Amino acid sequence: MDLYKPILKIKSLKVDYKINSDWFTGIDRISLCQKRGKNIGIIGESGSGKTTLAHSIMGLIDSPHKISGEILYEGVNLMSISNKDKKKILWNDIALVFQNSLEVLNPIMSVGKQLTERLVEINGITKKEAEKEQIRLLRMVDLEEKWKDAFPHQLSGGMRQRVLIAMAISCKPKLVIFDEPTSSMDAILKKKIIKLIKRLQQNLKFSMIVISHDLSIMKEIVDSINVMYAGSVIESGSVNDIINNPKHPYTRGLINSSVEILPYKDLWGIPGEVTSTYCQGCSFAPRCTQSQEKCFKEKPELKKIGINREIACHRGGIIKLLDVKNIQKNFKVRNKFINAVNDVSFCINHGETVALVGQSGSGKSTIAKIVSGYLPGDKGKVYFEQKKVIYDKVAKLEEGIQIVLQDPFSALSHRLRVEEIIKEPLEINKIGSKEERNKRVKKALRDVQLPQSNEFLNRFCNTLSGGQRQRVAVARALVMKPKILIADEVTSMLDLSTQANMIRLLKGLQNRQGFAMLYITHDIYLSRKICERIIVLENGEIVDMGSSNQIIEEAYSQSTKRLVEAGLNK
Amino acid sequence: MKLKKKEKIFEYIFTLFIIITLNFALPRMMPGDPFLHNTGGEGEVFTTHTVEQIQYYREYYGLDKPLYIQYGTYLKELAKGDLGYSYYYKTDVLSIIYKRFPWTILLVFSALGFSIIFGTILGSISAWYRNSWQDQILYILLIIISEIPAFLIGIFLLVVLAAALNFFPLAGSISHFRDYSSNFEKIIDIAQHAFLPVMTLTLARIGGIYLLVRNSLSTVLNKDYVRTAKAKGLKEVRIKYIYALGNALLPLLTRVSLQLGAMIGGAILAESVFAYPGLGLLMRNAVSVRDYPLIQGIFLILALMVMIANLTADLLYKKIDPRV
Repeated sequence: MDLYKPILKIKSLKVDYKINSDWFTGIDRISLCQKRGKNIGIIGESGSGKTTLAHSIMGLIDSPHKISGEILYEGVNLMSISNKDKKKILWNDIALVFQNSLEVLNPIMSVGKQLTERLVEINGITKKEAEKEQIRLLRMVDLEEKWKDAFPHQLSGGMRQRVLIAMAISCKPKLVIFDEPTSSMDAILKKKIIKLIKRLQQNLKFSMIVISHDLSIMKEIVDSINVMYAGSVIESGSVNDIINNPKHPYTRGLINSSVEILPYKDLWGIPGEVTSTYCQGCSFAPRCTQSQEKCFKEKPELKKIGINREIACHRGGIIKLLDVKNIQKNFKVRNKFINAVNDVSFCINHGETVALVGQSGSGKSTIAKIVSGYLPGDKGKVYFEQKKVIYDKVAKLEEGIQIVLQDPFSALSHRLRVEEIIKEPLEINKIGSKEERNKRVKKALRDVQLPQSNEFLNRFCNTLSGGQRQRVAVARALVMKPKILIADEVTSMLDLSTQANMIRLLKGLQNRQGFAMLYITHDIYLSRKICERIIVLENGEIVDMGSSNQIIEEAYSQSTKRLVEAGLNK
Repeated sequence: MKLKKKEKIFEYIFTLFIIITLNFALPRMMPGDPFLHNTGGEGEVFTTHTVEQIQYYREYYGLDKPLYIQYGTYLKELAKGDLGYSYYYKTDVLSIIYKRFPWTILLVFSALGFSIIFGTILGSISAWYRNSWQDQILYILLIIISEIPAFLIGIFLLVVLAAALNFFPLAGSISHFRDYSSNFEKIIDIAQHAFLPVMTLTLARIGGIYLLVRNSLSTVLNKDYVRTAKAKGLKEVRIKYIYALGNALLPLLTRVSLQLGAMIGGAILAESVFAYPGLGLLMRNAVSVRDYPLIQGIFLILALMVMIANLTADLLYKKIDPRV
């Protein structure tokens, strides 16, 4: 037996469902390869085709539905062999732990009988042997033998899951597919089931395909993950790579929605719904915030981007919007040079929130100004979408970089009306017709949840409250449809409740519009709540950089530890 | 669990009491009088009694007494197992019923059996080949049949198969004054007589059973546990009969036990059409001559029959479906 020969290979599998004479694509040309002894995870939202994939392997797609492609089990194409031969392989070699539901077991047959039914019918064991086997199987999944005479409705959800697992391993299969083995379970039960699955695998040495939308179980039991969306695999890679460094915008959205992976962060789902109808282009394009024209026209193929790493995206995954390389800035104060920023490098990806944390005077605002082009750096380069940032060009662009400053009172001229302030960037940069400008002003106001009435548009800024002013400042930035929004201590002058509202507003807008955010703050705990990554600055230098959990739990530098401790004492 | 059983027994006794009371009240609420015409059935010459004669009979049968006393006597006699004495046939009610009862049982249960067997088979075919041409044809055919009133089917069968083609006897349950060389010959004779009424009743019932099985089985075939069975690679026969049909027939049991009353109603019509000497025909005669004790007796026996059927269904259900 060749250990490296794939146990299961799927080649451009396609499943079309016929529902009332309409055709829906359940799976769109998936190819997979599973090595013996390896565990594959398949994640995706509900309706992404995960279960359909499992059913296809088990030969459960019947007419009128259509299935095409190849499913090779140890080199044998399950789609082309006779039903009789297929029945010999199914359940004997490949078994499925069905998704737990009330009616997954026959309600009028005892649990024990269902466990060994297949053994009795095909392998022809006697009634006595069957009974012994039932007890053995129940014990293997930590159930008492008395349950063999119970009926399915007498079992709890957790017990039913155990029975389903016992049923799947009854013929000692070489490949077991688990369909949502822990869905709707409490944390303690989930842990037990995961432990059970691991133990069974050790004893029985089967390979696994685990289907779930739960990332925590993936972390525990699989080696690699395939991310599915609308019937296609859009990203695949090793578990750690996928979770720590998602490349596809959808995968990142999925991870951002997972409380197990990011226990302290606010949860933001992916806006929109899965479009069920087959579309020409990338099926995620309508929900993607970095989609281009091509994304709607052509379907992206899975492409290799690293060792064991594949992604299906025309833009090569989440794009790097900002690349800051070795910037340095000195200020001259009375013939003396003060080193404000020293050799700082970082990058910001599309749609990401990065926090720049540090005490006052650590150089945060200076970096913000250099990045947005308001202040030239002494050394180093800043690239925005692979183009060098020269002076304030990116700030004048639509879809460029916009900045919102700390103090809304001095940032907005008191001589101007609300409408004039928000329209100003459009007018200065001569963007759009008059009507279009008015429309965009109103849209920006609606986005920041301010009234769009003429009365409000004609108000002078000094009549607004601090929170309202800051919203107007945000609206002024949004009217330019920025790809990066730099928020420089935007909440520090607001009271607590207004601060909370402001942050939620910004995150909500980001979730829908997909701009990246450089969030400058001195509050490290706030950063953990809203940011994916944190950069800690001290005296103009980066002392810590990493994912927000990592930074707070395993702070590297003394400065970060001080910030973390100080934050706790607050 | 025990309390439930007691409750159930009380329920049955209470129902029986209500039935007995209704049995007593209903005939007496009908217009007419048992002694207006004492001889002759429908279409015969009536001999009318004089006022004195009627008075005499009323006193003789105790009908002149207040209703509550009559009711009391009825209950007392019933407790002793005495169903009374027929005004019209001038014999014991129980012995009249005893003679007629087997024929009705024969009709009702044969029809029930055939309609369940054929209804289930056809319903299963329709469900397994749902939306195919077989299903479409069966569906239309059975809907049409079940929409035709039972007596019309009966008359049609009688005219075509018995009167015109002479395949079956026109009336009765058995050939009179005939010597049988063997028991088998007798059974054939009885079957020939019963064939048309049973067929009528079967045709009247089969549509409902067909539709029920078709829907129930179609639902069950899409259930998760049928998919589980398929994935387990079980034999087609096992999936079809043990998994699918086993679950699909549960509602049929309820339906059949509930419909037994209606079935007996249908038997009365069929017996009239085919002049079949069962309880139904007897009941029709009893009602037309206002033979109170006989009406009460027949009603009671039929009600008991329905109740026993319901009880059996209850017990059977418990045995088949562990969830109940």
